[in-house]
Amino acid sequence: MRVVIIGNGVAGMEAALAIRAREPSAEITLVSEESDHFFSRTALMWVFSGQMSHRDIEPLERDAYERLGLRRVRARATAVDVERREVLLAGGQAPLPYERLLIASGSAPRPGPWTGGDARGVGHFVTHQDLRWYEREVHGEEAASQGPPRADAHIGATTQDSPYRFRDVAAERRGSLAKQPVVIGGGLIGIEAVEVAVAAGLRPKFFIREEWFWPIALDRRESEWISGRMREHGVDVYLEHDVQELETDGDGNIAALRTNHGRFDADCAVIAIGVIPNTGWLEGSSVELDGRGGILVDESLRTSAPDVFAAGDCASVRWFDGSQRPEQLWYTARDQGRVAAAAMLGDDVRYERGTWYNSAKLMDIEYTTAGLVNFDLDEEDKWFFEEAGKVRSTSRIVTQAGRVVGFNMLGRRWDHSVFIRWIEQRRTLAWVLEHLNEAAFDTEFVPPLRIPRS
Amino acid sequence: MDLQGQNGLLSTYREGWRNRSMIGVSISLLLVLFYVVLYWEHKVQEYFGVTPLTAFSEAVGLRNRWYLYGFLYSVAMVAGGIYYLRRHGNSRYNRYRITVNIAIQIALGFSLPFIMPLFGGKEVYLSYFWPLKYDYLYPQTLADLPLYFALYTIVGSLLAAPVLAVLYGKRWYCSWVCGCGGLANTFGDPWRHLTSKSTKSWRFEQVSIHLVLFLAIATTFLIGLDWVIGKDHPTFHRIVAGNDWRDWSIKSFYGFAVGSILAGVIGTGLYPVLGPRVWCRNFCPMAAILGWVQKIGRYQIKVKPDMCISCGNCSTYCEMGIDVRSYAQSNQSFTRASCVGCGMCAHMCPRGVLKLENDWERSGDKARQQLDVVDF
Repeated sequence: MRVVIIGNGVAGMEAALAIRAREPSAEITLVSEESDHFFSRTALMWVFSGQMSHRDIEPLERDAYERLGLRRVRARATAVDVERREVLLAGGQAPLPYERLLIASGSAPRPGPWTGGDARGVGHFVTHQDLRWYEREVHGEEAASQGPPRADAHIGATTQDSPYRFRDVAAERRGSLAKQPVVIGGGLIGIEAVEVAVAAGLRPKFFIREEWFWPIALDRRESEWISGRMREHGVDVYLEHDVQELETDGDGNIAALRTNHGRFDADCAVIAIGVIPNTGWLEGSSVELDGRGGILVDESLRTSAPDVFAAGDCASVRWFDGSQRPEQLWYTARDQGRVAAAAMLGDDVRYERGTWYNSAKLMDIEYTTAGLVNFDLDEEDKWFFEEAGKVRSTSRIVTQAGRVVGFNMLGRRWDHSVFIRWIEQRRTLAWVLEHLNEAAFDTEFVPPLRIPRS
Repeated sequence: MDLQGQNGLLSTYREGWRNRSMIGVSISLLLVLFYVVLYWEHKVQEYFGVTPLTAFSEAVGLRNRWYLYGFLYSVAMVAGGIYYLRRHGNSRYNRYRITVNIAIQIALGFSLPFIMPLFGGKEVYLSYFWPLKYDYLYPQTLADLPLYFALYTIVGSLLAAPVLAVLYGKRWYCSWVCGCGGLANTFGDPWRHLTSKSTKSWRFEQVSIHLVLFLAIATTFLIGLDWVIGKDHPTFHRIVAGNDWRDWSIKSFYGFAVGSILAGVIGTGLYPVLGPRVWCRNFCPMAAILGWVQKIGRYQIKVKPDMCISCGNCSTYCEMGIDVRSYAQSNQSFTRASCVGCGMCAHMCPRGVLKLENDWERSGDKARQQLDVVDF
């Protein structure tokens, strides 16, 4: 069987491994513009700071492709010819014929919609190429750390609109490193871009449109703790600032940022206002997309085109609440890659997300969530406890009609799988509070959370 | 404030001396040189007519070069401990562990052996056991030791150490008590990311550590036999123990090859090149035994299911070269023989996926959905 996988990220790689495990003779080709080697995108920030090397963020050893017989093509896919069953490639490379095709092309950063959004010194923090740009603006060079193999191998086979092209570096043009970076967008990538700038000894400005940081996940009290922590670390946090324009100097380098509250000097700007499905290249390819560019798939991750599947950030899947949209998470991409592989091999499989959960680390505060929080449910009630003392934490437990439906926990470690079990068992708040420490996942010697009895 | 996990980002790969730069390699060469002079000062005297370490020890009142070594060892651990705690000290496990380990080195690794001879006692090291301290089960050594200490070392080596490893994993020794581990975790901490995670290095470790264990047991057995029959078999005695400490014998070969070369020159001298646990991972016979015991005991690293983002912080900072990520991303709670339980994988994990624990019940991992590990 001839399998082509577009995307060398977690969904694509997981599918390739799953197919190889079952079909030793399948001819598997991975097409990637961004990178020769599968890496963990979630770990880019640590490469920036120097905490890890490029090689460290690669889950597989570098000879894995050869050992597993996975062929790699380093080029930009430009279209799928559904009739002839071929993937077209940029740079005059021969089209790739397929019998089964998996599109796992991931996300692209959402571009800044403002004037000056593409000035020199303005970029994102999503791709390998973004990392390289941001490192050069702030550090002047990449950490000497076993860099990615063949970093520029795609340059001969890309297009002008690609998110994987190398950006011009304002620091190099100016002859001086960035001293006043700004980050636009109060979400996870934004706080990562801020944190690495702090670690590089800078005092970044963080512009957030909303009333508080990350409102889709945190309530005001929780978010105030995070913002306070950011300020303690030397971040200038600006809430309710609507960016209106990025100003450039005479040379085309970013010079300032203008919001509804005034003008702020800047010599480097990271735009982190979200990601969009990386599917622009599919327009006109008769693979059906949803209104936001996600590839529409059914429960088995089949697209509208025969023998074409989609998985990961680019796929618009059915959520637990019935809506259809992409789910931009690492572990769901991995699950989807695995399901897509089984479906491509002809299994009758379904992708089922189950109860929502997630985790994050916000500066140095860990975050675990499960179930329905911030959904403003009918009959919703919230139990909130703030632990002060040597260990600081906040716990928010959401109930609906007397039953626990969600957890939002900051500062301590929790086993989300226990929370999910309790939600599915429809436990009461009193029961959950009684048993809460059974879900604790703190490191040893950390005193357990004590909730005063009311 | 106590925070879970690593507090602040590290700049490991942006610091040349930690990454085999000229400075890093130079530090390594100096360490190697120090160990060569320490172990073979009589040769230095032969060729150059000086005994630098002995002369210095006597000048500062430390009696001989081994006490000077113990003193420098303690200083290196304190300095390294401060460095370690500044980076990772926000976690209680790290704080308690390093503090206990340094205190044991200062009290039992240096002060007690230094002080006891002043009161006419024997120089004894209460924090080391056979087969790491290989001569502590040699009959001659036992016969020369005070009875209480002979009993201590026999019970400690053969009973207490393995039993504690069943209950708490080998970490009770390798990461809380042992001086070799203590030095690696303090003075060696800057280089912990350099330990190789390759499959090849794992294969090497499995062969090398058991080879040394075999040598340790065989040497101890032969020396025991020599104690019984050596007087009647002078040739056997000559081969096993030698007539003079300068003779090449099985006993002196083990001391030379394992005690000096593998533990000292390579095991510590090459910290800045190969990472800090070269000795513990590849050669320590005590680690080999405790590793086996650990596999049947309570200790494990528990993995929270389906939360790993494969970032690799755990594997990068594993000083034993364990690819922790490969277990974490396949939802497998695990116990590896080589794991010394330093806790750094759980500390570095940004998603709180890993937890060290002692539990007979292997966290219901049967009930949990395990992902197939693709076998390469």
